[in-house]
Amino acid sequence: MTQAPVLDVRDLEMHFAVGGGLLDRLKLDAKGIRLEKPIVHAVNGVSLSIAQGEIMALVGESGCGKSTVAKTIARIYEPTKGKIRIDGKDIANFGFAQMLPVRARMQMIFQDPYASLNPRQRVRDIVAEPLLEQTKIAQERAAVPEKIARLLARVGLNAEHAGRYPHQFSGGQRQRIGIARALSVTPGLIIADEPVSALDVSIQAQILNLMKDLRDEFGLAYLFISHDLSVVHHIADKVGVMYLGFMVENAPRDVLFARPRHPYTRALLSAAPSVKAKRDIEEIVLTGEVPSALDLPSGCCFRTRCPFAWKKCAQERPQLQDVGDGQSVACHLIDAPERDTR
Amino acid sequence: MMKDAANTALLTVRNLRTYFHTFSGTVRAVDGVSFEIGQGEVMGLVGESGGGKSVVGFSILGLIDSPGKIEGGEILLEGRDLVTAGEDHLRHVRGREISMVFQDPMTSLNPLHTVGRQMDEVLRLHSDLRADARHKACVDMLESVGISRAAERLKAYPHQFSGGMRQRVVIAIAMLANPKLIIADEPTTALDVTIQSQILKLMRAQIADKGASMILITHDLAVVSEMADHITVLYCGNVVERGATRDLIETPAHPYTRGLIDSIPDTSERLDRLSQIPGSVPDIRNLPQGCNFRDRCPRAQALCAQKEPPLTPQHNGLMAACHFPLHPGERL
Repeated sequence: MTQAPVLDVRDLEMHFAVGGGLLDRLKLDAKGIRLEKPIVHAVNGVSLSIAQGEIMALVGESGCGKSTVAKTIARIYEPTKGKIRIDGKDIANFGFAQMLPVRARMQMIFQDPYASLNPRQRVRDIVAEPLLEQTKIAQERAAVPEKIARLLARVGLNAEHAGRYPHQFSGGQRQRIGIARALSVTPGLIIADEPVSALDVSIQAQILNLMKDLRDEFGLAYLFISHDLSVVHHIADKVGVMYLGFMVENAPRDVLFARPRHPYTRALLSAAPSVKAKRDIEEIVLTGEVPSALDLPSGCCFRTRCPFAWKKCAQERPQLQDVGDGQSVACHLIDAPERDTR
Repeated sequence: MMKDAANTALLTVRNLRTYFHTFSGTVRAVDGVSFEIGQGEVMGLVGESGGGKSVVGFSILGLIDSPGKIEGGEILLEGRDLVTAGEDHLRHVRGREISMVFQDPMTSLNPLHTVGRQMDEVLRLHSDLRADARHKACVDMLESVGISRAAERLKAYPHQFSGGMRQRVVIAIAMLANPKLIIADEPTTALDVTIQSQILKLMRAQIADKGASMILITHDLAVVSEMADHITVLYCGNVVERGATRDLIETPAHPYTRGLIDSIPDTSERLDRLSQIPGSVPDIRNLPQGCNFRDRCPRAQALCAQKEPPLTPQHNGLMAACHFPLHPGERL
């Protein structure tokens, strides 16, 4: 298949200037007094591409930039650099009005089912809102209520729910409302930012099953953000692992879980608890914590916690390189396998 | 570890009932919960939100405030009942005999005091040590939970620590007075997975080192299966199943336990669909007659609507409250 991907992101960068008072920013050093402008390097050159019907997951720990990638693609943030192509069109610099038709192709589902629904709106109005934004022709608007009813039924809510307010629903039901809202404009791409992490495990399974069914039914593509490796293993076709704003490994799911190459991916997999008796996996225990995105380490972003790091890692930033089977890894170990002592 | 030896149990909870009397009805958050913990044992208390697991923890420490009230039952710590004990005795118990680790390490530390002062407070209240000995004990404890330059870090405030470090401090405070029992309420839920595994290892080592017991309250069966000696599963304020960890995880007798385990995706196998428990937890102010789980249970029959199932012995020493329990290896 040589179909153009629904989403194609190239070298995306997202930097935030952080405030702080004038006095906080004044720095005195050997060269005299100067005014510093601290910058959070949230996303540092991330590329990814998702085809129709494909589910790509981004995993990583808090602060790795996975949510920022999602929000930047959804153009909630203004990207600092890079290209975001939806159906081949670069939307990175689109203005508000230009974005409107794009939003019919791309919708978002949020983590918190409590904060992401307007408490003063009825369910039917919440779900209809994106659709009404898109259709200004009276005839088409007349068809909206029926479509909303169909959608609510499809996500497992019944007709009488349409007239209720969000507080009358449980967390799982609210997430269903959020999904119905995203589907209302029949998008091609859904960006889901931790859609199940606020839910109990039995409800989580319901929502994951629903999202998979909808993918098959509507040929949706998902960008699925999660910190939970077992959820990602269940739902994703391919997985990108992020650390400190960098993509450190990117591979089809089966390849990644069978043969993780980056030390961070290996550590993540070995740290994940499991109900099943432990599989035979190496254990890489990470020490220390993620460095600040205000002050990135030189060379490899992971070297401060990496058990294999050597001189080269501090001097040179490893680039993502293809290692076959669709897997790419950003690590100097690939070129120096003799240093991989485990 | 010791099992079923009632006379050596460190903590025995019998028929505990904690209710909350609200304007919209009585919430029977904990309704007849019993269990036992021996010395050196780790017990996992699991269930979904609203199961009553945190309320059990708070009840043991006597931290239930109005409109909540312990309506009945016994909480015996080495034979002495904490339900009927006065506030003076409870104050002596808290921190010294039983200590607690909460979920959110930011809100369980006082932002206005240094970490050192908050640690010192425990020893001031619960030991006869002099100031310099207390300081040394704090430094040692902070080092043993993996915080380097401990003497210096004692002077720091909670906001100067990261989430994982703060949880280490909270654990250090909980361990300081050498308590016999630690109640950990979702201790790693707010943490990243690599930090979580560090903290779990630390807690395990500390407990083994001091011979303390632990109640690990969590919604995460994977965490509990790696930490606990045995597990108690709560649903709507009742114990639905309990037993040794491996037996309960591998051959559960209660359909709810089976459903919970099956709905966790696992990286060792790939299923097209996760099995799911239909519906959601019922309104606890308005529980159905008979078995609380019957509306969501694929095995429910007429009897389940009439009679509440008692906790009865099952295979492999498990106890389950179900009229139609699963046999070993049976699926839903």
